[in-house]
Amino acid sequence: MLILTQLVYSGIALGMIYAVIAFGYQLTFQTSDTLNFGQGDALMLGALVGLTLVGLGVNYWLMIPLVCAFGALQGTLVERIGVRPAIKIKSEFGWIMSTIALGIIFKNVAENVWGRDDLKFPSPLPESPIKLFGANVLPMEILVVVGAVAMMLAVEVFNRRSIYGKAVVATFNDRDAAKLMGINTGFVITFSYALSSMSAAFAGVLIAPLTLTGATMGAVLGLKAFAVAIIGGLTSGMGIILGGIILGIAETATGYYISTGYKDVPGLVLLLIVLAVRPAGLFGKTAIKKV
Amino acid sequence: MAIALALVTGLSLAADPIKIGVDGPFTGGSSSMGVSMRDGVRLAVEEINKAGGALGRPIQLVERDDEAKNERGVQIAQELINKEKVVAVVGYINTGVALASERFFQEAKIPVMNNVATGSIVTHQFDDQPENYVFRNAAHDSIQAPMIVEEAITRRGFKRPAILADSTNYGQLGREDLEKALALKGIKPVAIEKFNIKDVDMTAQLLKAKEANADVVLTYGIGPELAQIANGMTKLGWKVPMVGSWTLAMANYIDNAGPGGEGARMPQTFIQEPTTPKRQSFIVSYLKMFNPKNSRIDSPVSAAQGYDSIYLLAAAIKQAGSTEGPKIKAALEDLQAPVEGVVTTYHKPFTKTDHEAITANIPVFGEVKGGKVVYAYPADQQRASVIQVKDVNAKGAMKVEAKKK
Repeated sequence: MLILTQLVYSGIALGMIYAVIAFGYQLTFQTSDTLNFGQGDALMLGALVGLTLVGLGVNYWLMIPLVCAFGALQGTLVERIGVRPAIKIKSEFGWIMSTIALGIIFKNVAENVWGRDDLKFPSPLPESPIKLFGANVLPMEILVVVGAVAMMLAVEVFNRRSIYGKAVVATFNDRDAAKLMGINTGFVITFSYALSSMSAAFAGVLIAPLTLTGATMGAVLGLKAFAVAIIGGLTSGMGIILGGIILGIAETATGYYISTGYKDVPGLVLLLIVLAVRPAGLFGKTAIKKV
Repeated sequence: MAIALALVTGLSLAADPIKIGVDGPFTGGSSSMGVSMRDGVRLAVEEINKAGGALGRPIQLVERDDEAKNERGVQIAQELINKEKVVAVVGYINTGVALASERFFQEAKIPVMNNVATGSIVTHQFDDQPENYVFRNAAHDSIQAPMIVEEAITRRGFKRPAILADSTNYGQLGREDLEKALALKGIKPVAIEKFNIKDVDMTAQLLKAKEANADVVLTYGIGPELAQIANGMTKLGWKVPMVGSWTLAMANYIDNAGPGGEGARMPQTFIQEPTTPKRQSFIVSYLKMFNPKNSRIDSPVSAAQGYDSIYLLAAAIKQAGSTEGPKIKAALEDLQAPVEGVVTTYHKPFTKTDHEAITANIPVFGEVKGGKVVYAYPADQQRASVIQVKDVNAKGAMKVEAKKK
């Protein structure tokens, strides 16, 4: 039982790391039907900028809003350069290539600025584990879970309550109609990209003390997060959290009970099953696309 | 002006440089080894050139970053051979890259001095051919695996080892060697676990080792993931000693694991301690020239072996009196004068059938202590001033089986 508790803890911590990144995919999908495939790189940039700030002597907690501002700026840039031109000409796939290209450019820039070695991100909390129902958990892992949930709640509340949120929903439902109703859909989409990269940058500094920080940290995490977004559903914030936890626990449990060589397999099998049975995701709303 | 011009052309005619290729990962997860190796190489070349070069000609380095990718290594090999026309090449950190690149030099009859990659078969790829152009001055895995087992089982008396190895060529070949070496002692590991490069969570692997009541963890991986293992142990509140391949000395292991990484032990051919005058002058010059953080060489073993590889080559070029590949190779296989290096003094380091300069009696055990690698045993440090020279009869190495074609 103790073993299972420990595996579940680690699975949840790992899953929440995936979920915060996946959340960014969902934000832009909701407004523009597009995804930022450079999400992993936005995360990496946030973590590295955060590391530099901490190195300059900025307090960890003070650094977070600065990193968030940087992330928002970076997201705006991605939307302006990569996504807007594609949306304008109603290209179905142009944004895929351009966000991937921008992601690679960001990675190369980061490699030149920060080098390609993995760096240690100083932990703001004690690094000794605490006991929770008999199993060990790191204070930083609790912070990741709390921080991720808090961030998602904040964005969800903002989307549901504020006038901007209504604009998002309207833009998602019918971009042209929303435009005719006087909603500046272009701005809404730009804003959603800024929000998405901001959440990625925040996720970056949140998880960096647990993972290592470096130019290549986004690649694997971004891909896993993509699987989470598919499993949970790209239209459901709740689904993303549950999808993340499912994938995280599947990984740690498979690693222990079956073999560490196969730990990535069940998550991907689940992904295939979801795609075959419920393409909108476990918790996604099925949208009927009229052609 | 005319005189200056004449001088310049005159000089360049008299001193046509000898081009030597340097290949290693200078970026990415293995870069602490690659960059330290390159810096060791640069230091040796500067010293040799200051002293008049080889055959009266300066040595010129052609450095290329293989990014630890096999296909980059292949491209670089072709460029060094066909475009740069190097007379020899030193380097290779990653066993996979070495294996993929070496055949081009073998075909072009250009000697390769492998100074870091440890995979056992690196020098045995061409055993079935009459001439073999691949040499090595690093401690290969057939030496390291038995050393790790000797340390964990015999010296420290552990009975229930768990093996944690990464899923690359390096990790899995090393795991096989470890299992073989354990079998020779009649011990079966209680757990054998795998992890991927960039894995951020080692809970499952460590829990399995813990549940199997492992009393020591034997590792084969590279720095960042090894650090995640140490961090994972801290998290689980389960601490057993780590003994593993020489990569536990990598700066990115030591820095990322922090206090949790202390006490890890690994075989080392060189420890950054001025135990001989040669080593002292090497350390002083290296620190002066490259000024690494906290006066700590990122990977002292790579730096020392990189330095020695150039002196070995220079000695061979001098003896051959030529820069032709076959003549350098013949000279390497029959070096007359001893070569004083940092790791050891090389007396006839290679023969026609033996292309390994390092034998099992040369490496010692290092331990991570206070954020750097020190001698694990004071006795080793005391006798370090007596240079251990190559001994082909040294006990401890496993026989390397030639690659079957």
